Amino acid sequence: MMSLKPRNVDFTETWAHLKETVAGVVGLRAVERSVWNTRFSDVYALCVAHPEPLADRLYDETRNFLEEHVAGLLQRVRGTAALENNDHNDGLLTRYVSAWREYSQGVAYLNSLYSYLNLQHVKRQKVSDAEIIYGSSATVTCPEHDARQLEVGELGLEIWERVLVKPLSAALTGRIVRGLAAARSSTPDPAFASTLREAIRSTVQVRAFRVRAPLSLYQSLVLEPYLAAAAAAHAQLAADLLAGGDIAHYTTHALAGLEREVALGARYLDSSSAEAVRACYERAVVDAAHAQAAADGQALLAQAHSKDEAHTHFVNAMLTLHGKYSKLFSEVFGGAQAFVGALDKACSAVVNSGAGAGGAPELLARYCDCLLRRRAAADVDVDDKLAAAIVVFKYVDDKDVFQKYYARALARRLIHQLSASMEQEEAMINRLKAACGYEFTNKLHRMFTDVAVSADLNAKFQQHLRENNLATSTGFFIQVLQAGAWPLGGAMAPLAPPPQLERPARQFEAFYRNMFSGRRLAWLHHLCSGELRTRYTARQYHVSASTVQCALLLSFDTVDSWNARELRDTLQLEGDAWGRQLRPLLDAGLLLASGDLGAEDEELSPAARVSLNLSFSCKRTKVRVTCATAPAQGGGGGAGGAAADGGDAAHCDDDRKMYLQAAIVRIMKQRKVLRHTELIQEVVSQARGSFAPSVAMIKKCIEALIDKQYLERAPAALDTYSYLA
Amino acid sequence: MSGEDCDAFDRGDNDGQKPDKMFTLKKWNAVAMWSWDVECDTCAICRVQVMDACLRCQGESKKDSYGKQDCVVVWGECNHSFHFCCMSLWVKQNNRCPLCQQEWSIQRMGK
Repeated sequence: MMSLKPRNVDFTETWAHLKETVAGVVGLRAVERSVWNTRFSDVYALCVAHPEPLADRLYDETRNFLEEHVAGLLQRVRGTAALENNDHNDGLLTRYVSAWREYSQGVAYLNSLYSYLNLQHVKRQKVSDAEIIYGSSATVTCPEHDARQLEVGELGLEIWERVLVKPLSAALTGRIVRGLAAARSSTPDPAFASTLREAIRSTVQVRAFRVRAPLSLYQSLVLEPYLAAAAAAHAQLAADLLAGGDIAHYTTHALAGLEREVALGARYLDSSSAEAVRACYERAVVDAAHAQAAADGQALLAQAHSKDEAHTHFVNAMLTLHGKYSKLFSEVFGGAQAFVGALDKACSAVVNSGAGAGGAPELLARYCDCLLRRRAAADVDVDDKLAAAIVVFKYVDDKDVFQKYYARALARRLIHQLSASMEQEEAMINRLKAACGYEFTNKLHRMFTDVAVSADLNAKFQQHLRENNLATSTGFFIQVLQAGAWPLGGAMAPLAPPPQLERPARQFEAFYRNMFSGRRLAWLHHLCSGELRTRYTARQYHVSASTVQCALLLSFDTVDSWNARELRDTLQLEGDAWGRQLRPLLDAGLLLASGDLGAEDEELSPAARVSLNLSFSCKRTKVRVTCATAPAQGGGGGAGGAAADGGDAAHCDDDRKMYLQAAIVRIMKQRKVLRHTELIQEVVSQARGSFAPSVAMIKKCIEALIDKQYLERAPAALDTYSYLA
Repeated sequence: MSGEDCDAFDRGDNDGQKPDKMFTLKKWNAVAMWSWDVECDTCAICRVQVMDACLRCQGESKKDSYGKQDCVVVWGECNHSFHFCCMSLWVKQNNRCPLCQQEWSIQRMGK
């Protein structure tokens, strides 16, 4: 019968006995009941020893013993295996697991043997869980550091990790990851499966007693290396599947792969990792699909060589691509957010990559232009195609550039009456408005309204002429555009029109002045066109030409030949317009030049004589006189050729700067004080609707506003701006 | 020349004689551009081009369907011009032209 009274104890002697038993317990050898009981009392006796309790010494000795023991186990586990050779079948894992089984069990028993020490001696030193989690005192920042004593069972596990796992960590990780990879491709034999499972579980158990980050060893030793390896494997698999090209094949395998991964994770890994495993697989497949989509897109777009076909090709390719992948993702992955996001990213990358001639904004605008133009073969599904074009439009970063091209094409269609249907025009503007808002389509709407107003105006004017007996035989039709809404850019060609044109123009001006007030009317002769009928030829010819050319021809109504300079001065034509407009008339043979002609391809000498070709003849009765467009006339009635493109970019840049400055002022006016990064973010999010601004440009705009004293840098904080009212 | 003249003459086109007029203008598609007849393109009150709707109207039409609403221009006796909307608000506080401080009275309205 043991006495509970504290007494003198000979530590060395008692420890010698105790140590023997401890070795037996940890080695899972049989220990007799009576011996166990005696040792249990010995632990008690040492803890309450008189005059000095010997608990600390006992603890230290026990630790030393365990460290020695585990070092021995390390040798056993390591055996003769070549550590750097990560062969999962070399027996190391098996030895590791058997040592772990023995040791973890033994340490658990040991913990009971030392329960008095644990309870009375260690517990007192231990900080409470609450203190650890909430960190109430500064001293508990890192409770796992060895200054503090652990329960003996915990001590055993800590020693296992430190002495055995650490030196073997690379070898263990390598074998576990290899083993899992092997288990993925074929089911392993049950013995190895359970070894693998236990080895993995040991990394969780060895830290299970910790309050903080109990899974960190498992994560660094198993999960992270595994996911990295798995991601690579998935990506390879997905790439191979996609390269196969068959979508059905890909989807079946992608789905089977997901199931297999989840099952593999559930079988071997800690249950906390299920989500990470699934996410890893999805990410790998999404990335592969993303990369594939982008590659597909680049390949499709790379085929676009022919300039005329480029726009149709571009939009169709994008739509095919988008359709294919969105169908795939919605059918296979139930439209999971990750996939939709990846598709959006891929599409946006492809659209804005600048592949194909002229970039996405121009191609898309040309695509719309073609669909909206009047054509011989009526396309039945124009509406659907235009609606689909919006899908591509949403991916375009430079929406402002698109707007410029679109507005120009719309102006051309409206002025030259090339639109297939006004309903379609309006529907398309409304679609753009739905996508981008009122500001984006404001000018397009105004252009559209001008055309409707003009139709009404013409009807009223004709009625006015009839009522006042002013009717002329001329088929006079006018469009009155409002300034500021139309992208006409080009210089107005001055012209003093001959009386035949002058008369209806004056009549209309009078009528217009009467109808409205406070308005100024300017004639845009470079956009007008006319049709003349010849009366001096055997056959009647219908000549369509620009207004200036009509004016030139009409000048010969009563005069057979003109001195070149005189003709030019009478019509008040300017230098290059004169040459540009006259040349096609000479080329068509309607006019003849004689005398001092000047060099070939150059302007007619002022001294030359120009006369009407009275014996003009042509196979066709309709003669269309072309007119070279003015080179500097970026967006006029004519085609905005390649020459104008450089100007577009610069023009957009100026507009963007204005837009950004306005946005910055708006934001600052509301927020008063704002940090640099937040301001940049807000500006970017406001501008996103029409273009993707560069941070450099925003910075420049901020500088400009500081110069203009709208803003200042806050005196106290360097990265903060404040608004100056 | 009147329409009847032309028609009368047209019939005699092919008699081999030189006509007194060489051409008949059959069709003329004219294009003109209108703008407010103002000295300054910008409304001094809202700083927006007078051809565009004033700031207030633009803000409202963002909510409405669309279209340019009747945001016309008004001229004072001093010949300065502003958006009518802007000026009607201005005169509630100060019945003087914001540019020249003359007493404001409307000379004409845009239509």
